[in-house]
Amino acid sequence: MNSRDRSTRSAWVWRLAIAAMAALGGLAVAAGAPAGQLDGGAVPDRQAQRVAVSAPSGPGPRLEIAKHKYSSPILTVPAGTTVTWVNRDDDVHTVVSTTLAFRSAGLETDEAYSFKFTTPGVYEYFCTLHPLMTGKVIVK
Amino acid sequence: MIHDSSHVRDNDGSEGSGGDGVDRRGFLQCMAWAGTGLVWTATGGILSSATLRQAAAAGADPVSSFSFVQISDTHIGFKGEANKDALGTFEQAIARIKAIEPAPAFIIHTGDLTHAQKPGAFDTVSEALKGTKAERIFYIPGENDVFADGGKEYLGRFGGPAGTGWQSFDFKGVHFIGLVNVLNFKAGGLGSLGQAQLDWLKKDVEGLSGSTPLVVFAHVPLWAVYPKWGWVTDDGEQALSYLKRFGSVTVLNGHIHQIMQKVEGNISFHTALSTAFPQPAPGVGEGPGPLKVPVEQLRGVLGVREVNYVQGKNRLTVVDSTLA
Repeated sequence: MNSRDRSTRSAWVWRLAIAAMAALGGLAVAAGAPAGQLDGGAVPDRQAQRVAVSAPSGPGPRLEIAKHKYSSPILTVPAGTTVTWVNRDDDVHTVVSTTLAFRSAGLETDEAYSFKFTTPGVYEYFCTLHPLMTGKVIVK
Repeated sequence: MIHDSSHVRDNDGSEGSGGDGVDRRGFLQCMAWAGTGLVWTATGGILSSATLRQAAAAGADPVSSFSFVQISDTHIGFKGEANKDALGTFEQAIARIKAIEPAPAFIIHTGDLTHAQKPGAFDTVSEALKGTKAERIFYIPGENDVFADGGKEYLGRFGGPAGTGWQSFDFKGVHFIGLVNVLNFKAGGLGSLGQAQLDWLKKDVEGLSGSTPLVVFAHVPLWAVYPKWGWVTDDGEQALSYLKRFGSVTVLNGHIHQIMQKVEGNISFHTALSTAFPQPAPGVGEGPGPLKVPVEQLRGVLGVREVNYVQGKNRLTVVDSTLA
């Protein structure tokens, strides 16, 4: 939905509706849908993952992957935060939870993956191609 | 050069009656192929090396009942600095294999066929290997072949009737076992076999006589080459415990893109060269990964391996050969 095409009044009504929905508990907004939300244990279909990866990433923290390392290997965020990883390395990397709570596809250079952390806990993750690359997201 | 005679190997390792003759012509052909090759011979658990010329001069029995090839870590799709033409060096390795006379009975690929499951890479590897004269190709996966989808693509293609990827087969009295240690890949990098596979392995060797030669192949080293870099299988010792009663066990691994050897009792371990790029020696530098060497040295650190089985002797001979 492109708000520039709307009249000022209907755009204002639309924004109010969105704010109301957000207040009711964090429903995804169409333009900024967080990518890659998975059921626990599900292995995503690779094609579906690629579509999700190219959607615009969420507004939360962005971690970079470079030189076979995750920047900010320990990250603490409040529940409801969308975390985005961007691969700036010259090799393929993944972001995979050790409990399979989330699992990216293989990320080529400049590809990104986002996941929204709704449940508090400690989420350890690693790269399935280079498993010595590890990181942790602590969700409060 | 290949004999169909089935000598029963005596328990003390001596030849049965009417031992194989020495065929120097065939042996000299092997020498010409291997060029810079090294012959590793395991006899009664002692590993010794010699260049092929030394081995010939010492009157080593060169006649093998069959040979097979181990190729590893072809990483088709790799385009990093360490080798801009992984496909080209793979094709050079294929040419090497095609030059082996007589043709190897089969080829074993010890994993990382592809680099990061690049589209089309499985096809490239499969078609090129089918184009050799080997009658069969056996595969086990590396982490690159399964990382993106938990093995769905690889197992759908190479997983076998049970879909697990692990397998065993017999050839001329030698029992071959292919293990998968990259599907339970853990954070921290260790290879892992898992309980289901361990149970399968235990059953698989249960009924075999201890004089049956075993060849075990898996991607990540089954022994602790360098655990800090993940160059180990966390339940590898458990698997090896099922094999300790056998008189001759040869373990062939890949993953580390360099040759390392070890002998432990009757078990000899050999990791293989890659055809794509080398990796640093254990502990040298920050960690594992593609190692760039001067371009004129690259082909000297890539290669393939021929394994010769000598019927009637307690011996599997491993011949490593580089591309230059």
